[in-house]
Amino acid sequence: MPAEPDLVVQARNLTKRFGKITAVDELNIEVHPGEVFGFLGPNGSGKSTTMGMLLGLIAPSSGTACVFGMDIRKHLPQILKRIGALTESTGFYPYLSGRDNLKYIAGITGGITGTRIDEVLELVDLKSRSGDPFSSYSLGMKQRLGIASALLSDPEFVILDEPTNGLDPAGMKEIRELITGLGQQGKTVFLNSHLLHEVQQVCGRVAIIKKGRVVTQGPVKELLNRGDCLQIRATQPDKAVEVLTGQEWIGSVAREGEKILLEVKTELASRVSAVLAAQDIYLIEMKARENTLEDLFLELTGEDAK
Amino acid sequence: MMKLIAGELSKLAKRRMTWILVVVMVVYFAIILFATYGVVSSPPERMSPEIIAQIRASLQFPGAFDTIFSTARTILTLLVIILVASSIGNEYGWGSIRQILSRRGIRYQFVVSKLISLIFYALIGLVLALVTGFVLVLIIANMLDPVTWDFLDAGYIGSMAEIFGWTLFTLLPYIALTAFFAFLGRSAIAGIGGGLGFYFIEAILVTIFNQSGGWLAEIPAYLIGPNIDALVPVSLFTQGPFGSSGDPPSVLHASITLAIYCVVLTGASLAMFEKRDIVLQ
Repeated sequence: MPAEPDLVVQARNLTKRFGKITAVDELNIEVHPGEVFGFLGPNGSGKSTTMGMLLGLIAPSSGTACVFGMDIRKHLPQILKRIGALTESTGFYPYLSGRDNLKYIAGITGGITGTRIDEVLELVDLKSRSGDPFSSYSLGMKQRLGIASALLSDPEFVILDEPTNGLDPAGMKEIRELITGLGQQGKTVFLNSHLLHEVQQVCGRVAIIKKGRVVTQGPVKELLNRGDCLQIRATQPDKAVEVLTGQEWIGSVAREGEKILLEVKTELASRVSAVLAAQDIYLIEMKARENTLEDLFLELTGEDAK
Repeated sequence: MMKLIAGELSKLAKRRMTWILVVVMVVYFAIILFATYGVVSSPPERMSPEIIAQIRASLQFPGAFDTIFSTARTILTLLVIILVASSIGNEYGWGSIRQILSRRGIRYQFVVSKLISLIFYALIGLVLALVTGFVLVLIIANMLDPVTWDFLDAGYIGSMAEIFGWTLFTLLPYIALTAFFAFLGRSAIAGIGGGLGFYFIEAILVTIFNQSGGWLAEIPAYLIGPNIDALVPVSLFTQGPFGSSGDPPSVLHASITLAIYCVVLTGASLAMFEKRDIVLQ
């Protein structure tokens, strides 16, 4: 199947095996231009291996991956010129200062001015400590330097692996805003994070992988707004549960303290109300329950996100 | 490629370890030469006058040049192994190899730029070693007798330049060997272990093979150490770690054998590095 030039990333049946272990198993993902794409999965699910394949660090066992419509096996140098990546926080020389590390990267990349180095240091709030050795940096500062290096060449496509790792809440907020800003600038961001709340806030689309396979992929709003869950509070909760459990058009009934959760389409809300009213049970509250990415993640992967 | 080489040279210059190795080299030279001077100035009673005269000549020009070159070769081989191993191995340990490869994508450039910059540093190291040795020997030689330079003519200087070239050449197999082990084990420890291990174990094997006779005695001619001895001077105190490596092969044989080592080991490093995954943590 020919690559679609309009897509930033198009992986087709991408597979990576390490001996007998299949780390990535026929993975299919698409990343569109200008979107912030979340890539989620439990530890060991194949996220980093996928990122490694997109960056040419790991050779796929089978399948194809195209970035900007070009096959990574054939056009890697051209592709990498348009990518900025944060692969891990410690990919720097400990004896060089933060600024010297960026200067080195700028030197091997080419076309990056000293002014640009100042700009990215300013952007990640590291300018005042840029002369200190990298070895003296805290985890959060190392992470900021990693983000600065990813943005150094002002790339069209930014790959970020756990960018808020080690940051305090204020730092995490800044990075979230930075990522959102990148999206608003028209850059494409591929965000690998286990912080589901963070992903939900900044990503337009996500893919969730489990054991190397994509279990779902799509716009966050669509994935979360499946409209099949109502949350109610009623005057006689025990009796309400009993009444609703007998209705075959309701998928499931669950009790969460005073709240009752119904697996039912939201357009049937009035029918729920009517059934309860017929039994002299009255609604105190009724609303469509919003799924969170964490709910979805747990449901699809059967694992704790953390 | 030039950008990568420039980056490598700059990184090595800014690294403290590089300068520590220079200090080690200077201290080594000082210990070897002043210890030798100590033997000459107050020789042990049992030492024969012939041996004392031989040692004395090794500290006086022109014989001192052999001492300087062979001392430089011995210490530089060990220091170059450490430098090469740490320069390559630490890229894995620090994760910086991912930074580089996720920006360049052309793997052979990484290997070649590493090797070129390390050869350049070996060249600088050799120059520093020769200058250090020359200055120290000049001091010591003056303490023994007034130094005369009447042996110096264009022919002698030419032969010194030739030995300089061969000495640098003899460092190349160890650079290639250590790089191979560092890439193989993806660590500085693997490089140092492989490089130093080969250096010492080979010397033991050469001694054993030479004493065995028969076809076993032919093997050393195809190892690294004996071929190096064929190209550069071996002084009284600075022959291989376990003594002389026996009758050296011809210059042609030695240079071809060492060149084959360089090509095969570099080729193996390139092929291995090109093929292997750089796994993210």
